[in-house]
Amino acid sequence: MKAISVQVEKAVKTYGGVVALAEGNLTVQSGEVMALLGANGSGKSTLSKILTGVIAPNGGQVLIDGKATSFGSPQEARKAGISAVYQELSLIPDLTVAENIWLSHEPIRGGFIKWQEMRANTQQLLDLFKGLYGTNLQPDALISTLTPDERQLVEILKALSFDPRLIILDEATASLDSRQVNRLFELVQTWKSHGMAIVFVSHRMEEIFRIADKATVLRNGRTVGERVIAESNERELVDLMIEGATILQRERLPVVDEQKPVRLAVENLRTNVLRGVSLQLRDGELLGLGGLQGQGQSDLLMALFGAIRCEGQIVLSGQARTFHHPRAAMKADVALVPGDRGSEGLLLIRSILENLMLASWSRYRTPIAFSKARADGGQIAQELKMVMSSLDAPVNSLSGGNAQKVVIGKWLLRSPKLLLLNDPTKGIDVGAKAEFYNLLDRLRDAGTAILFYSSDDDELLGLCNRVLVLHDGEISAELREDKLTRENLVAASMGASA
Amino acid sequence: MNTSLNRIRSLIPPPLIALMLAVFLFVFGGVLAPGFTNPDQAVNIARLAAFLGIIAAGQTLVIISGGEGIDLSSGALVTLGAILTYRLTGGDDAMILPALLLVLSVGALIGALNGIGIAFLGMPPLVITLGMAGVVTGVIYFYTQGQLIGRTPPAMGRWLSQALIGPIPGVIIVWVLLGLGMWVLLERTAFGKQLFAIGINRTAARLSGVRVNLIVVLTYMLSGALAALGGFVLLGFTQTVFLNLGQPYLFPSIAAVVVGGTVLAGGKGSYWGTMAGALVLQVINSLLLALRVEEAFQLIILGTILLVLLTMYGRQRSVRQ
Repeated sequence: MKAISVQVEKAVKTYGGVVALAEGNLTVQSGEVMALLGANGSGKSTLSKILTGVIAPNGGQVLIDGKATSFGSPQEARKAGISAVYQELSLIPDLTVAENIWLSHEPIRGGFIKWQEMRANTQQLLDLFKGLYGTNLQPDALISTLTPDERQLVEILKALSFDPRLIILDEATASLDSRQVNRLFELVQTWKSHGMAIVFVSHRMEEIFRIADKATVLRNGRTVGERVIAESNERELVDLMIEGATILQRERLPVVDEQKPVRLAVENLRTNVLRGVSLQLRDGELLGLGGLQGQGQSDLLMALFGAIRCEGQIVLSGQARTFHHPRAAMKADVALVPGDRGSEGLLLIRSILENLMLASWSRYRTPIAFSKARADGGQIAQELKMVMSSLDAPVNSLSGGNAQKVVIGKWLLRSPKLLLLNDPTKGIDVGAKAEFYNLLDRLRDAGTAILFYSSDDDELLGLCNRVLVLHDGEISAELREDKLTRENLVAASMGASA
Repeated sequence: MNTSLNRIRSLIPPPLIALMLAVFLFVFGGVLAPGFTNPDQAVNIARLAAFLGIIAAGQTLVIISGGEGIDLSSGALVTLGAILTYRLTGGDDAMILPALLLVLSVGALIGALNGIGIAFLGMPPLVITLGMAGVVTGVIYFYTQGQLIGRTPPAMGRWLSQALIGPIPGVIIVWVLLGLGMWVLLERTAFGKQLFAIGINRTAARLSGVRVNLIVVLTYMLSGALAALGGFVLLGFTQTVFLNLGQPYLFPSIAAVVVGGTVLAGGKGSYWGTMAGALVLQVINSLLLALRVEEAFQLIILGTILLVLLTMYGRQRSVRQ
């Protein structure tokens, strides 16, 4: 593999009046894993998009092997040997795995695609993750039939199919389970030894310390430092990232008041995925849902919200209920923060205000009392410390963490009694996570019953008194008090009983 | 050039661009055809644009609703609205109001059938509304048996087409009121907000408690009623009916929506834009007439201009990414 050195110097990017990147610097070489760290809106995504030719900077320069370069498109960047894996997936649902991976660089003879070769090459790529995905993942499988983690794997393989000299992994581990992450890290080590350069964007500190050689830290659109991982520690990097703010260190968990009424009782709930789930949740309790990706956590939350069909008994606030539409659940003071905020939670091109109000417009009468709605929206934005230019800015101008605050704010406006959270901190930064944990505390103190699925074991361990671990559509373990340990959590998520 | 054009488009709201274009063409028309730019002509253009604009109101809603939303039955419904009014009133002013209510109901009913087919049977809007256009045309043939009996009530011409307040004909006032109504509907009702929401992301809308199917049915219902209203109003101008009365308005009405900046993919747009778009199209039309361009060339030029405008306005970057 030809060696590569990439340098971004003083890159600037503005959107209208908003500065997304004020001074982005980044240096990465062959055989090196560079972590890219920063809080919400610190400019990480902007910087990586400049590197991959998705956006053009307003100032500064990109040097590839010492030569100033500007990419007009991702295709040009790929030709120069740079490709990226994004968290927001770029796959086409109605095409097959092979077609997606080789899209735009299909093996061709005389104008016709060499299908045999394309399938064989795809299988070869898939073998990199042999044994770590379902039997459904085949070169000819449609993307729409795959689970989120399988799609993420395909996304990684697609970037790899360009034979890059520099690969950018932008939150690429967010949807993967621990075995898949382990395998990916083994691969990263191999690529490194072959002379590939890797830029690794992740919010999981533990992963950064496992895999990265160096870290570049961004804050408010500026590169504020570069550290050698072996000589640094978590504390130092976090301090660089959040400037003053402290990350939540939990010591004491509030005890669940057994006198509080049972808000939710579920008996033998079944869907296409769930195979009989029962649980109880009291007011003021934060109940965790754990387990590997796609074991039925989403189905459970969606079924409780009336968004998918289910069988079994749901007793809410002492009444047996069957919700045929989310609207009915909503009226019964249930709220759901869905797992994929882009496709399930937000109207990307509409304003922040309209997104916040989407579930509440009918409360403002007809014609809508607009100034009242605006005041309420402004208040919730302030409460959640949203960073935005105005309530009228489109929601797609926000960073991931702030966009997630919009989804959460939409439901807080309705003061739900039962809050269902589907991996709400996925892909948001440490600072926003800490704020979110404090918010959960406040809601719990106010008596909200919360059912909380997280793909991050640390969150479950740090926030919940009790965790239900799902495996293959069933609860494989209920962990509490001294049984609630990382070892038991991992064991139960593999289907072993604790 | 292209980027500066884009920048202008992102700074000035599309309805204003369309309005400026209409004014520019109107003034510029005086250079090409001396005497074209005068107050009488302005009123006349606004009056003709009003008919087109009213017909395009329902189309605006349907296009905003997304899901490849389009209503190709509106031309046939315009014809039906006019023919029903013509026949039911039989020239009697006292029958105007009952006829109007019936016309609106029939339009709403046919629109609701479109909406039900789309929301509950999963039919593509293009297919079902095109089919519905055929059915409605068939019903018109059956109803009239080829004989167009009836008369236009004299009051309709007075109130709608002729000067009502000063030099302003009633239809322009109706149009402006409709504009205000549409603004309230789109921007100040829960229905309007939910309509934009389903135009962008039906999953997110549903998970926020929006009854997507209900909104779709209501939207096509409104579109049907507004198209039929367009036919009613148009009768005040034409004073007579024919079997192909509404069809020529179908494509200009879609063009007016798009020229006004409403995104064909849904979820973004306004009726102000459609109103300005209708003015642009009508100015061009009147200018070609004033220049005494042969009808064949009129059609060719109008078509070409539409293509150019739609290329400029209709090329939307992928708004969802």
